Amino acid sequence: MDSMTSSLSTQKVQEVREVTRIERIGAHSHIRGLGLDDALEPRKVSQGMVGQEAARRAAGLILEMIKEGKIAGRAVLIAGQPGTGKTAIAMAMAQALGADTPFTAMAGSEIFSLEMSKTEALTQAFRKSIGVRIKEETEMIEGEVVEIQIDRPASGSGAKVGKLTLKTTDMETLYDLGQKMIESLTKEKVQAGDVITIDKASGKISRLGRSFTRARDYDAMGSQTRFVQCPDGELQKRKEVVHTVTLHEVDVINSRTQGFLALFSGETGEIKSEVREQINGKVGEWREEGKADIIPGVLFIDEVHMLDVECFSFLNRALETDLAPVLIMATNRGITRIRGTSYKSPHGIPIDLLDRLLIISTAPYTEAQLRHILTIRCEEEDVEMEDDALSVLTKIGQTTSLRYAIQLITVASLVAHKRKAAEVSIDDIKKVYSLFIDESRSSEFLKEYQHDFMFNEITEGVNGAGDVPMTS
Amino acid sequence: DSQKTCMMDGNRRKIHFAFRDGREMAEEYDMTTGGLLVRKWRKHREITGKNNSRSWIYEIGEEEVQKPVESEIVENLSNPICIRKDTSKSFQWRIRNLPYPMETYNVTTTDGKLITVRTTNRKYYKQLGIPDLERIGEVLETSRLTVAHANNTLIVSYGKSSNMLRLEKLIAAELSKIKASKDGDVECNQQ
Repeated sequence: MDSMTSSLSTQKVQEVREVTRIERIGAHSHIRGLGLDDALEPRKVSQGMVGQEAARRAAGLILEMIKEGKIAGRAVLIAGQPGTGKTAIAMAMAQALGADTPFTAMAGSEIFSLEMSKTEALTQAFRKSIGVRIKEETEMIEGEVVEIQIDRPASGSGAKVGKLTLKTTDMETLYDLGQKMIESLTKEKVQAGDVITIDKASGKISRLGRSFTRARDYDAMGSQTRFVQCPDGELQKRKEVVHTVTLHEVDVINSRTQGFLALFSGETGEIKSEVREQINGKVGEWREEGKADIIPGVLFIDEVHMLDVECFSFLNRALETDLAPVLIMATNRGITRIRGTSYKSPHGIPIDLLDRLLIISTAPYTEAQLRHILTIRCEEEDVEMEDDALSVLTKIGQTTSLRYAIQLITVASLVAHKRKAAEVSIDDIKKVYSLFIDESRSSEFLKEYQHDFMFNEITEGVNGAGDVPMTS
Repeated sequence: DSQKTCMMDGNRRKIHFAFRDGREMAEEYDMTTGGLLVRKWRKHREITGKNNSRSWIYEIGEEEVQKPVESEIVENLSNPICIRKDTSKSFQWRIRNLPYPMETYNVTTTDGKLITVRTTNRKYYKQLGIPDLERIGEVLETSRLTVAHANNTLIVSYGKSSNMLRLEKLIAAELSKIKASKDGDVECNQQ
């Protein structure tokens, strides 16, 4: 019986640990920033970025301009071959800007939705990237709870009556509580010894932690408990609170009754332009009165060649309004047809828009850089690899593509784990290479055996990475 | 530098100032003594505020009619209440509901800007500022501070300097020039 309970309890403890460790490891989760020094020169390997020095330096300059607020309404294009770090640079810029600046990332094909028109989707994306920082003064009560007393009326009907005693190191005050406050306090499970803040206007309660002086009262507390010092000075103070919202959120809230519910569900629908003009006017007023600040952020559109010519015309116009964020676009197409027309143009973008852009190009990686990137990814995914296995993987990356090599890392680590080895060896890599075919081998294979596959349309002399051939 | 309107209401002379940046101030003077009874301020409306009108922040005096309490948390009536009401010679605060003997109180000036009232039994703490002196840039001196205690009320006084008294005379002369309309009637344009 004892062993059962102890094994059950150890099982439970293990479960808790695993749940807390699960983090989604995305393709770019190893990037922390652009890795530039103070003179904006890129370091060879820093903050998760490797190589691509010219592109990183250019991105760094643009970042400086964004921070100084001088670049609102400009656009940047990052162009280069597949697997050369375009999305990585955009992610690095997002990390470097910090949590204050709104950064919206989207793919070109997200514009096409049945629920809203393309221009509406683009306008929403633009407005999601512009933040409004609202400064407000509220009366806040901050102190340590000495005692909470809630009395139920004896007669059964009638409201509960509550009293709360709060103190700081200098003073102590008794408060009478209304119905809603009593409910909030019981819901938050506020006890004597907790340090709390109450916003007088909204009635919102937040717990800051437990007071140090009460630490002796309990032996075991939950692992989440924080200890804070008892606050000093007056209990009631006027504090300045800063909220940051995006223009899109303001639009949605004002677009219909109970608008804030739409924010959570995501079904915003089309927002009328009158609502938007009203909001623009109001925000302008707030700016003049000094109540709010506008923070232009960054909108990143990946795969921008998927947008069609109508979207591009809209972008031309939208970039010229006063409230426009910085637009960063990325594409790996060369000279392709602009969607919606039959004209060809560099990157699939019309030349008049290209004219307004600052273009950063990325170059393919060298072998040493590839090796570095693979090392960083191995660390990120928690995989140990032997040196010669790493060399083989680097060679594979050079001949095929960086992405294929990165994907092999996880699979190879699983194979190694199956044979109970701690490190990935060359044999694991070879096995995985033969199991999973990369893009060029796949095209070769298909060319040979095309007759055996359904709906075969390949004509001779077409390189595997082209667009769908034009039909007249 | 502000638009002033004046009206008479019973025994009080009410003057309303409207500043150019959207703030408002109202003062009420007692007609018999000429003393300043009430001064209150109001800012432009907060963005996330509810639809109620903006509330006044009282610098001197307090609201005449206590509205029924809307907010969910209020100080209990047994707590000390501090009201400022100046005399002609000094700024004065009366803190009611303080039953402790005289020795428990410790009143000092802090940094030349604030008066701090403390009790040794850690039951009451308040920092009092004098915006009038801040506006003219005068520093607080401990020598002008006097404290008295009677009827469960602590009376803190800060003597006005000659500079301050002179300024008050000038302001009073300026305000007496404003034409007062009788009994709260403001002239309406019939157009």
